[in-house]
Amino acid sequence: MKTTSDFPTINERTPDGKREDGAPYRVLVVDDSMFVTKQIGQILTSEGFDVVATATDGLEGVEKYKELYPNVDLVTMDITMPRMDGVSALEKIVEFDKEARVVMISALGKQDLVKKSLMLGARNYIVKPLDRKKVLERVVSVLKS
Amino acid sequence: MRVEYINPFVESAFGIIQEVLQSQIVRKDLYLKKTSQPVMGVAALVGLAGDVEGRVLIDMSQQTAVKIASTMNGEELTEMDELAKATITELANMITAQAVTKLFDLGFKFDLTPPSIITGDNMQVSNADVEALIVPLELPQGLVEINVAIRERM
Repeated sequence: MKTTSDFPTINERTPDGKREDGAPYRVLVVDDSMFVTKQIGQILTSEGFDVVATATDGLEGVEKYKELYPNVDLVTMDITMPRMDGVSALEKIVEFDKEARVVMISALGKQDLVKKSLMLGARNYIVKPLDRKKVLERVVSVLKS
Repeated sequence: MRVEYINPFVESAFGIIQEVLQSQIVRKDLYLKKTSQPVMGVAALVGLAGDVEGRVLIDMSQQTAVKIASTMNGEELTEMDELAKATITELANMITAQAVTKLFDLGFKFDLTPPSIITGDNMQVSNADVEALIVPLELPQGLVEINVAIRERM
């Protein structure tokens, strides 16, 4: 629906996913669930973020991060995944780039792993089920800090 | 089988489904089955092993599964495709993860398998030596049954 041409803009707010210069923040989504990847993608894209790549396990996530670097601003990292779990992948990414901004995506009941991730350098975490507000709040606070 | 094993699963199923589907759920009466039970067209199966052992089955008709997956994805899905399966898997993941946290708090320690999704017609499940407790949940999308067969390790 093209409403912008018909109505005056009353909301000048920059979408959360854009920098002040208008360029989108670039996000790598690492999750083994097609559903979660899609959900995160939809939430972020709707706010102007650019999901530049996705990976379905930790190993692929680390590889993609290295490929993309430095053209990546944030990673969302699932914890339980095949081949390499999210905590190990986080460790490898932070080892490679200590400025990396990684947000853990966790199911309930993984407090110990979340704590461990935060100590290893994860910037924040989101507990599933995900919703728009929760995801945007955490992601934005990491990018703006 | 002790009722305290099933309550966390029912409570978390109730809470999670309400949260992700934003709809009203009616919890129907719990019943117990000693023999094999019919399984509706789509079943998410999670195994438990440790202080307690057994399995949790969350089952529903194919039509209900597709409707639930559609609501969770915010788009109309028409069949039990990969996305619909991934969605139901994720639903089962969230329900079991929360329930297990409650059981851990009660002092039980055990591991879980990742959910498997089983689809088909005319399926039955039977567990030797352990009866199953079943709680039906009535959703606008259809009926979902939480079917738990767990015992303490001997």
